[in-house]
Amino acid sequence: MSDPATVTRARAGDSDAFRLLVEQHSRPVFRVAYRMTGNEHDADDVVQETFLRAYRTLDRFEERANFGTWLHRIAVNCALDLLRARGRLDRRYGGDPEEAEMSGVASSDPQQDRLLLSAELCDQVAAAMERLSGNERTAFVLRHFEGMPVEEIGKTLGIQVNAAKHTIFRAVRKLRESLEPFVRNSRHATSD
Amino acid sequence: MQHLTEQELVLHHYHDEDSPSDVAQHLASCDVCRAEYASIRRVLELVDEMPIPERGDNYGEKIWSSVRWKIGGRSSRRSTWRSALAAAAVLAIAFFAGQWWHARNVAPTSVAANASNATKPAAAPASTPQVAQNRILLVVVSDHLDSSQRILSQVANADASRGLDLTSERARAGELVASNRIYRQTAEQRGDDRLVSLLSDLEPVLQEIAHSDGKLSPDEAAALQKRIDAKGLLFKVRLIGAQTSGQETSPAAQKGMTRL
Repeated sequence: MSDPATVTRARAGDSDAFRLLVEQHSRPVFRVAYRMTGNEHDADDVVQETFLRAYRTLDRFEERANFGTWLHRIAVNCALDLLRARGRLDRRYGGDPEEAEMSGVASSDPQQDRLLLSAELCDQVAAAMERLSGNERTAFVLRHFEGMPVEEIGKTLGIQVNAAKHTIFRAVRKLRESLEPFVRNSRHATSD
Repeated sequence: MQHLTEQELVLHHYHDEDSPSDVAQHLASCDVCRAEYASIRRVLELVDEMPIPERGDNYGEKIWSSVRWKIGGRSSRRSTWRSALAAAAVLAIAFFAGQWWHARNVAPTSVAANASNATKPAAAPASTPQVAQNRILLVVVSDHLDSSQRILSQVANADASRGLDLTSERARAGELVASNRIYRQTAEQRGDDRLVSLLSDLEPVLQEIAHSDGKLSPDEAAALQKRIDAKGLLFKVRLIGAQTSGQETSPAAQKGMTRL
């Protein structure tokens, strides 16, 4: 059954239809929740809260709109609320690029190098995302992964469009500071 | 030549710049900016590799299991309301029956009692409207607990490893949820904490059955059995069910029957 038909049934009070929507959209919602919170358990909480809010506000959903997009918006707001509650929206950057570069230790086996590098890169990307402030992380996730227009990001965060653009830029700059050493190492390792 | 700023390059990457053609033109003719832009893109490509923990195919089911308690069911709203109305009607009947009983029996009894008042100062109020109401209420609550017990027994005694088919119990459980609320509220008003506690424990289990799709997986069946077992629910339902059933038929018990 298509989303619009299922949503129509759910809006009419059919909990089986809402269950279908939960089952279809839980994993994508988890992905956006995890990218924003960087924590599995928090992301699970955000997913649950997202569907609860969605259920309570189903009457306000415009059927012409895309249900997945609407749900993602709710997930973003739930994640923001959680980050605010934890005081994580004000956290400042605390990463040390030199320290990050130092931790990129290479072994003597090129194949092993690549595997280690791959695993370590994943960790470093996660760590680099952790170093962003809540607003930076949110703005970046929404623009980079969700493709949300900057105007909407501004509305979501309650800031002007230019401020949203600047927040995204700050996020990218911090990510570069954290990850460029690994990009260089990665290129060296794969070219060996 | 004035180079593009890092911010302009980031904006360009996301197509958020004010004049895209100017930036593109500059990039086409400037090696320095092109290298810088390539560096930004490489980092962002790396970010795309950000690991996201896997969630299994049944993740949606797990989320549904978690949230369905909180949202309640809307599909059975109509039948739920019917059940609630039925329970409310029973309570109303209990009230008016009590009044009727009072009008018919208490007045003559009172006259007789007045006549012999001097010798019987502490006559038991066996036919007060309160007692009459309680008697009828005990009948319906006893029936309610009896029905609930049958469903709980079926779940508790099932072999969870094979899953559980509750298709035929769903509708009945939905009705019981509705009447359970009414009885719980009534018990609260009457201060019957023990019954309130039992009905409060019973309600979510009945809800889970009512809102299930009828067929519980082995995990879901085991989880439901655990919930029933953890609160000793079946035992409590049997115990209080037996007590209310005893009260409803025992004149002796009616003397102290000030609660539901």
